[in-house]
Amino acid sequence: MKRFITLAALFFSAHFTFVVNAADVGSPADMSDRYCTTCHGAKGEGNIAVQAPRLAGMEGWYLQRQLENFREGIRGTHTDDLQGIAMQSMAAKLTDASIADIVSWVGAWEFVAADVTIEGNVNRGRSAYQICASCHGTNAEGNEALGAPALAGQNDWYLLTQINNFRAGIRGTHPDDSFGAQMLAMSATLRDDQAITNVVSYINTLQK
Amino acid sequence: MTNSVSRREFLNLLGAYGGSSAVLSAGAALGLMPLASQATEISLSNQSSNGKSVAILGTGISALVTAWELTKAGYNCTVLEASHRAGGRIFTVRSGTVIDEIGNYQRCDWDDEPHLYFNAGAARIPSIHNSVLSYCKELGVELQVFANESKTGWVQDDAMNGGKPVRNTDYSSSMTGFISEMLAKSLSAEEMDSSLTESESEILLGMLRSFGDLDEDMLYRGSVRAGYRSGGFLDHGSKKDVIALRDLLKTRLANNVMTTTQEGSGSGPLLMQPVGGMDRIIYAFANRLGARIEFRSPVTAVMVNNNGVEIAYEQEGVPKSLKVDYCFNCIPSHLMSGIPNNFPMEYIEALNYIRRGKAYKAAFQAKERFWEKENIYGGISWINAPIRQIWYPPHGIHKEKGVVLSAYNFGGANFTEMTQEQRIENFISSGEKIHPNYRQMVEKPITIAWHRMNHMLGCAPRWSRSRGGWSEHEEQMYTTIRQPVNGRHYLIGDQSTQHSAWMESAIQSAHYALADFDQRVRAEEA
Repeated sequence: MKRFITLAALFFSAHFTFVVNAADVGSPADMSDRYCTTCHGAKGEGNIAVQAPRLAGMEGWYLQRQLENFREGIRGTHTDDLQGIAMQSMAAKLTDASIADIVSWVGAWEFVAADVTIEGNVNRGRSAYQICASCHGTNAEGNEALGAPALAGQNDWYLLTQINNFRAGIRGTHPDDSFGAQMLAMSATLRDDQAITNVVSYINTLQK
Repeated sequence: MTNSVSRREFLNLLGAYGGSSAVLSAGAALGLMPLASQATEISLSNQSSNGKSVAILGTGISALVTAWELTKAGYNCTVLEASHRAGGRIFTVRSGTVIDEIGNYQRCDWDDEPHLYFNAGAARIPSIHNSVLSYCKELGVELQVFANESKTGWVQDDAMNGGKPVRNTDYSSSMTGFISEMLAKSLSAEEMDSSLTESESEILLGMLRSFGDLDEDMLYRGSVRAGYRSGGFLDHGSKKDVIALRDLLKTRLANNVMTTTQEGSGSGPLLMQPVGGMDRIIYAFANRLGARIEFRSPVTAVMVNNNGVEIAYEQEGVPKSLKVDYCFNCIPSHLMSGIPNNFPMEYIEALNYIRRGKAYKAAFQAKERFWEKENIYGGISWINAPIRQIWYPPHGIHKEKGVVLSAYNFGGANFTEMTQEQRIENFISSGEKIHPNYRQMVEKPITIAWHRMNHMLGCAPRWSRSRGGWSEHEEQMYTTIRQPVNGRHYLIGDQSTQHSAWMESAIQSAHYALADFDQRVRAEEA
């Protein structure tokens, strides 16, 4: 009898779904935490229209650290960090297993260098970059040992926003963000908007 | 103290707005304003034999209309939808509905009753939105009248009446009275007499007296339209006190209270809604399109070439592709910016330019229909707080429970950045200023922050960045995105219109694209 009821319930619920509810095939069970592409682009190449940076090609160790920082509120809690806040509310729900899943998923995406959208004085940018190079590498390829991510190939508009955020204390001021604090200090060496534009323009010339 | 308006006070006020001639010349436009939207109809050439294929990206109403019209005309249609549901910003929440907000997953567990639903996106159909109404008729979507205003609703502003709410009718009767009184005074002045004939003045004064319920001296001294203080049925009614003009002017809510029933681009005294939820329209299309719609199929690339369009997409993480002759695309422009494509530079510039709206709504299942005990059976209460509005359901009258819209803010960024708990506390503490027992009435609250909804990331698109209207550059970009790429790819949806946020606009964008498309197909065949 019980089996009959189960079968009948299955039949009727399937029937209902098809006839009345063809516009909705959702069920809570099949939702995962793989939301990244909605904001970061279908292939993780970044999306300027929603100010979400490139993830394709990002180092797994750096992605994991940033997801954990967002989750713990170490990043994305400053009231002026609008994009960071959006990311923080997403990351707050992630489990360690979800983060591991995302890092391995994103790790499989193909890296394609981002389009150049910013133009500045590359020569001046080159000399300013020498300070950056000590951590991020001569070719902006990143240095895991120093905790510094690759910059080459990243969306230039995103680099600009983040350097500005560090300079303004919007990022890197949380007491538990030791790498951020270091970056905040270094960003002070870039004196004005033009200097930042120049250094980003130079990074645009580097190959990952 | 008399509450009437001094003549000097009024003339100063009028002078500040350009004087009587300005008012009169504005009046000259009466009768010239177009009201109804032109019903756009579509008549495609029948293609049952040529086997042409079309991909439709997204399932907003523009996409469903496109797919439906093309299917009827014999085209081979495939509709790709990234989400688990169809409809885009036409979204009804009821028992069991999943609200797929990124970082704030919600599942609605209201009682499973037909009247317990909430239109989280599109919610009102004006009488003049002919294309929407025509599809409802064609598809057999049952409609009912929607009450957009209740004069028994409330107006609340901390700056007015010590923060205590006043009834809409108290507010609007007084405001209408004072406006009429001021105009009547201006008409008796010599400088105004010269502008109107004696008979025109008489008709106007008669109307003003009636419009504002003025007394014999053409002064506003209160009106029974605000309801009685006491009596009114077995005994003579006694009028309520007048709210002084200066008190009425302590809030800017008059902008909303005095205009809700003005017919125009999207409002009016008589609006409509489908019985059971706005998504009945979506279901009607989706049921007819059946398996042509593929859910959970996010598009990952759109490449237009000389012979057609190649679409890459994913299903359950597996890459798939589709080669079609034509493509109609209603994916929000700001998401299309993140999908690899080979569109021309100026097309991409326009896509990147359109900003995403930040509308926010919230709702809850009310334990009791407390508003009915306050003589409210629909309509809106206006509040000068981030929640802006409370809507009472005009359906399900006298049933045990109802679903209340507890916030609707067009620029809802502040809510978007709150946690779910903060959003709920915010709407409860604002609503409590109007309904003292509000907090106890709230069951199972839900919130809709369109800026964070998965596969949407925004509400109605916003084109113009200045209050002064569209710039020449914006008009140029608009022209660009209305042209098909290579005659093969059409951008549709309210993003391809100059009046976003309405289903009518989205449908007309589809009809516009289909008309262009049909012309090309006919030309090819000729």
